[in-house]
Amino acid sequence: MNIELIFQIAGIGILTSIFHIILKQAGKEEYSFIATLAGVAIALIMVVQLLADLFQQVKGVFFL
Amino acid sequence: MDIFQVVGIGLTGALLAVYVKESNREIAVLISLATGLVLFIYALSQVGEVINVLAELSSRANINRYYLMIILKIMGVAYIAEFGSQICKDAGESSTATKIEFAAKVIVMVLALPIIMALMESVLRLLP
Repeated sequence: MNIELIFQIAGIGILTSIFHIILKQAGKEEYSFIATLAGVAIALIMVVQLLADLFQQVKGVFFL
Repeated sequence: MDIFQVVGIGLTGALLAVYVKESNREIAVLISLATGLVLFIYALSQVGEVINVLAELSSRANINRYYLMIILKIMGVAYIAEFGSQICKDAGESSTATKIEFAAKVIVMVLALPIIMALMESVLRLLP
């Protein structure tokens, strides 16, 4: 059970929300959107790897 | 005890998701997805042992291995579909969740067709 991944994703979420606020204060609305998108993409890549792991394990256990 | 670990991971994931949700909704969904994945992978490692015992019992009772495989496949389909539909429901997409469940039901029925046919054949053989 790797709980580090959950903390990593939460950290990415908090960081992207801080970037969002800072860039919005600085008047760079378009960059703030891109920063949020990048954070979501990075977190999505991590989650998708875990999802593939789960699917492989289910395939192995249930002979799918 | 492992149950304390499971509950701890679940509570931590839920707390982090609630904290992040107000500023960043997509990441909150990803956090709950990751928490669910970690817990599911843990549960699956336990299910494997149960399935080994089941296979041994069925081989001892001279049940056809083909039917046991079908039942296990149905269990796997139900497991994955339940997981996906719960995640969709959490993300607020209950219509997608309903469609996943519908597709899973159809797949389960297709998988169960050989068993239904075997049952029909044995019933027909019993009838005069």
